[in-house]
Amino acid sequence: MNRINSLLAGVLSSRWMKALAVVGMAGVAEAQGGNRWAPFPPASDFGHRFSELFWLITILCSISMVIVVLLLLIPLLRDRARPGHKANYDHGSSLHDKRLTAVISLATFIVLDAWVLAIAMKDLREAYWNMPEVDQAETYPIEVLGQQWAWHFRGPGLDGEFGTPDDILEMNQLTIPKGRPVSFQMTSKDVIHSLFLPEMRTKKDVNPGSINKTWFKPIEAGEFTILCAELCGYAHYQMFGNLTVMEQEDFDEWEESASLLGIAAYDPEDEEAQWAWEWEE
Amino acid sequence: MSGQHIHAEPTNFFRKHVFSVDHKVIAKQFLWFGLIWLGIGGVMAMMIRWQLANPGEPVPVIGSMLFPRTNGVLDPATYNTLFTMHGTIMIFLGLTPLMIGAIGNWSIPLMIGARDMIFPLLNCLSFWAMFLGGAVGFISLFVPLGATEAGWTGYPTLSTTINGVGSGETLWAIAVFLIGASSIMGGINYMTTVIRLRAPGMTWQRLPLTVWGIFLTSVLNVLFVPVIGSAMLLLIMDRVFGTTFFIPASIMQGAGGGDPILYQHLFWIFGHPEVYILILPAWGIIGDLLSFFSRKPAFGYRAQVGAMVAVTLLSAVVYGHHMFTTGLSAMLGESFMLLTMIISVPAEILFFNWLHTLWKGNLRLTTPMLFSMGVIFVFGLGGLTGIYLATIGTDIFLHDTYFVVGHFHLTMAASALFATFAGIYFWFPKMFAREMNEFLGKTHFWFTVIPLVTVFCLMFVMGYAGMPRRYYDHTSAEYLRSLQHLNKYATHAAFLLGAAQLVFVYNFIRSRWWGKPASQNPWEVGTLDWTMETPVPHYNFKEIPEVFTGPHEFSNPDIPDGKDWISMTEKLKA
Repeated sequence: MNRINSLLAGVLSSRWMKALAVVGMAGVAEAQGGNRWAPFPPASDFGHRFSELFWLITILCSISMVIVVLLLLIPLLRDRARPGHKANYDHGSSLHDKRLTAVISLATFIVLDAWVLAIAMKDLREAYWNMPEVDQAETYPIEVLGQQWAWHFRGPGLDGEFGTPDDILEMNQLTIPKGRPVSFQMTSKDVIHSLFLPEMRTKKDVNPGSINKTWFKPIEAGEFTILCAELCGYAHYQMFGNLTVMEQEDFDEWEESASLLGIAAYDPEDEEAQWAWEWEE
Repeated sequence: MSGQHIHAEPTNFFRKHVFSVDHKVIAKQFLWFGLIWLGIGGVMAMMIRWQLANPGEPVPVIGSMLFPRTNGVLDPATYNTLFTMHGTIMIFLGLTPLMIGAIGNWSIPLMIGARDMIFPLLNCLSFWAMFLGGAVGFISLFVPLGATEAGWTGYPTLSTTINGVGSGETLWAIAVFLIGASSIMGGINYMTTVIRLRAPGMTWQRLPLTVWGIFLTSVLNVLFVPVIGSAMLLLIMDRVFGTTFFIPASIMQGAGGGDPILYQHLFWIFGHPEVYILILPAWGIIGDLLSFFSRKPAFGYRAQVGAMVAVTLLSAVVYGHHMFTTGLSAMLGESFMLLTMIISVPAEILFFNWLHTLWKGNLRLTTPMLFSMGVIFVFGLGGLTGIYLATIGTDIFLHDTYFVVGHFHLTMAASALFATFAGIYFWFPKMFAREMNEFLGKTHFWFTVIPLVTVFCLMFVMGYAGMPRRYYDHTSAEYLRSLQHLNKYATHAAFLLGAAQLVFVYNFIRSRWWGKPASQNPWEVGTLDWTMETPVPHYNFKEIPEVFTGPHEFSNPDIPDGKDWISMTEKLKA
């Protein structure tokens, strides 16, 4: 099994896979005057896994589809009804046909599905579901509250605890450090939302009544997109925000001033602002 | 079975045309009903596409008439209503009545050699329950405080009074419930009829694949529609009686304590089989038609039936793939991913056998044949793109983007629609005793398949590029503005697709009343429906026929008089 895994990893990290992913993503964008046909390049450490798997499936599916189209076209051109032409009387019920059916279906399953499945399992274990330990000092925790129609984000501030006056509260704007795993705990005030960060290649529903978790590690500094992916009512399409990833030094500076601003603006009477919960391990 | 009565034909107009218990009349009622709703759902799709390509501009021609308050501009609430009702209508009031109601009602008794359904009154009730459901759905569009806006999936808490205070959402749930009741009645009737009323000699292994497909669909209907019925009842209670089945305590000031995710489980336990409810009859129909028009036996008949049975069973255990981003546990997610991928094995068996049926045949490229081959093509595209969504690694990004929209439109919508068109073109001469125009039929096919594939393949690109679905306007967020050109292309193709359906409408209406009178067996096939006279007499068979050969004995060298087909009631040369 390990050998298969390393083989798969080899294929995926091979130069042609990478080249293909780059072609796919760089997305014809600039040449088309701002019109793009592909997502912006990934900015999280597991983001490349999506494109690699996507293009692997695309290659396998394209081959399958070409075969299907050929098998439709050949009879269409060759076997059309005409005088004197007869169909081949064949029920396809011989042992040979049954074996052929079984072999082709299983072979396609192994090539098409099992291969993809193996890589997907590996990706899930190594990346998407490999949540960082929160007590690790380098993990940056964020609490998210979705509401119709805005995103609220809460950073722990300088004391590293949620629900204290120095918490950093942001709305439709999230600021995080580069190169550290960012761990999210999320819930909603009203209806189901879904936190979609296209450049980070991640998405997780934000449900009322329970806390959902997700994570990623940004590897590029810059401005990125936050969207809502689950229909949440009238202004669903306007529920977007901005994600700022800062270099660690810039972030430290920003965190300190934002945290102090938080203390200055803290109002214990403001119930709307008291939505923090104890971080779940 | 010998005990099939023949009642005198009703002479009263209401008993004959309105509350008829005759499966042929009910089939035609379902046909007209389904076609009208298909048209309404189609117009809604056109308005949705208009808004996406030209956000905030008044809808041309019909806009100012339908939305006088806004001078023809769709506001976000109306837009949400439109895509919600488009989905609900196309699935429950368009494809279900056409494929299961009309083709099912027409073909089951005629193909198995029965005088009628086994429960004719239940059959009548099934149509009128659906009619009532349609009426309630229609009324829900016009109630004060707004129609439904929660998507055809109706997820709480969006569908509870926390978001939608108007009675539109409640009426929507009642409509879905009524239509579900209709489907259950139909399912019980179809299953019992196929089990009990097959003519002598019509063994399970001689059953036309159409009947197999509809039979298996009926099994799914009876097993899984009650689940959505229960979900709708609970939703109605949450909305009307103040219960909190789906509303968590945190947003009810501590009272109650339900779970919105519970609804998603209930919905998709039904919702995934629903996909197969629509696709199994399609597979059955094209399994038959590909053989009929290739003049060749259906390749691997038993393998095809086996694959359809396998899909019926598997459809019950894969629904979790709709919920990969809701926070399913890792173990559940991985299990559902594996189970979903297993479905591709029976699907591959079907593709293998369909394509093999065509191989070395004597292909008659009639309109029903073109649409059947079209199903292979669009279902190929749709089925293969399912792999991206079954794989959690790619689904995390693609979930709730236009990729999903393209995928399910190609599988459950386009494939089912193509099979429905194939069925309508195929059975029309028997149903209305007139022929449809072949030239117009082929025009309809080519002007449908090309724009249709264009629209939905563009949606794959949009989804891959990160465009979320159910957005009123993709130009407001910076990230999506650079994708707006794709929306324009898709809308142009969609309008062409919509216009092509007018060819069908014209052909259907013209042929229905002024078409060339049809002969008894214009397609030269041997199933029982085509061996009887045209128009089909009251109570179908004076004598219940006896079946001696299978439905697909084309080009058998043992056919007596040099034809390439044989009626199921005739014997092959010994």
